[in-house]
Amino acid sequence: MAAPAYPAWVTRWVSGQWRNKKRPPALRPPRPLALADKVANRREQPTEATCSTEMSVMMACWKQNDFNDAPCAEEIRMFYDCVAKAEKERKNQNEDTLSSRGNLPSSKVNKLLRRFPQITRYV
Amino acid sequence: RIMPVRWSRYNPSYLEPEVKKDSYQKPLEELTEEEREQMELKAVRPIKAAPPTLSSSVFSDPMVSKFTNMMMKSGNKVLARSLMSQTLEAIKRKQLEKYHKAPENEKETIECNPYVIFHQALNNCQPIIGLSNITKGGKTYQVPVPLTDNRKRFLAMKWLITECRDNKHRRMMMPEKLSQELLLAFNNEGPVIKRKHVLHKMAEANRAYAHFRWW
Repeated sequence: MAAPAYPAWVTRWVSGQWRNKKRPPALRPPRPLALADKVANRREQPTEATCSTEMSVMMACWKQNDFNDAPCAEEIRMFYDCVAKAEKERKNQNEDTLSSRGNLPSSKVNKLLRRFPQITRYV
Repeated sequence: RIMPVRWSRYNPSYLEPEVKKDSYQKPLEELTEEEREQMELKAVRPIKAAPPTLSSSVFSDPMVSKFTNMMMKSGNKVLARSLMSQTLEAIKRKQLEKYHKAPENEKETIECNPYVIFHQALNNCQPIIGLSNITKGGKTYQVPVPLTDNRKRFLAMKWLITECRDNKHRRMMMPEKLSQELLLAFNNEGPVIKRKHVLHKMAEANRAYAHFRWW
């Protein structure tokens, strides 16, 4: 008889839970137990800086060649290509689809929820 | 009577005017599908009025016009345009002088076309990355940031003009000083190129803050 297994109500009763020490919560005017039509405002995490590798490569090249542009033409061209690509990507990305992190921004979610509100009463 | 209008906007259906003559001289068969559709659209839609700075002549150059506009003060386009033409003439004179004094083997290397010199000098003056102020945690940092083409051209032209207006002898005329600066920039020397290198050095020194950028 190391650990006598009593049913749960016995342990609760013995602990004096129901003698004014702890009552089950009585819900006084409850808010409607339904989902609200909006989500909390969440701060969007900033995206990372684009083209940082190309920039660092170009700067290393500059450091070696005393900031002349002629010897670094290849690196500069790669940097420009990366920047153009990132710019096109930014223009083409549609914010209505999922962003890179898989979550819509809270403003868009609120707009969608407002279009399809929760039905609180039946007529 | 002409009523001065502060700001006006065309209906979005108006299209831009096409000024270059050679686009109208192509025979019908040579056009691609998109160009044919574009022509059909132009037959139906109204077209905006061409601005007075847009010209169809072979001698007009959009970069030169933009530079003249930036040099213009209080709307005096006549003066700005005359200064620009005097600058180009001065460049041509200096280069011709060098050309005739140079020995035979070096004569091909000397560039005499002032437009080519102007474009090359502007290209050499354009910075590659710029710095922008980004506030994080209460402190403003100078973050290296890639620049758009328009911004690079604007900065190059602005630096040239401010350099010519500030650091010259009291009696030196603007075309003379500008031609001097353009020739120096063409050879990658001179104070404007130095200013560009200073900007690049500052960007390089601040490269640790590059991650503060969010675009």
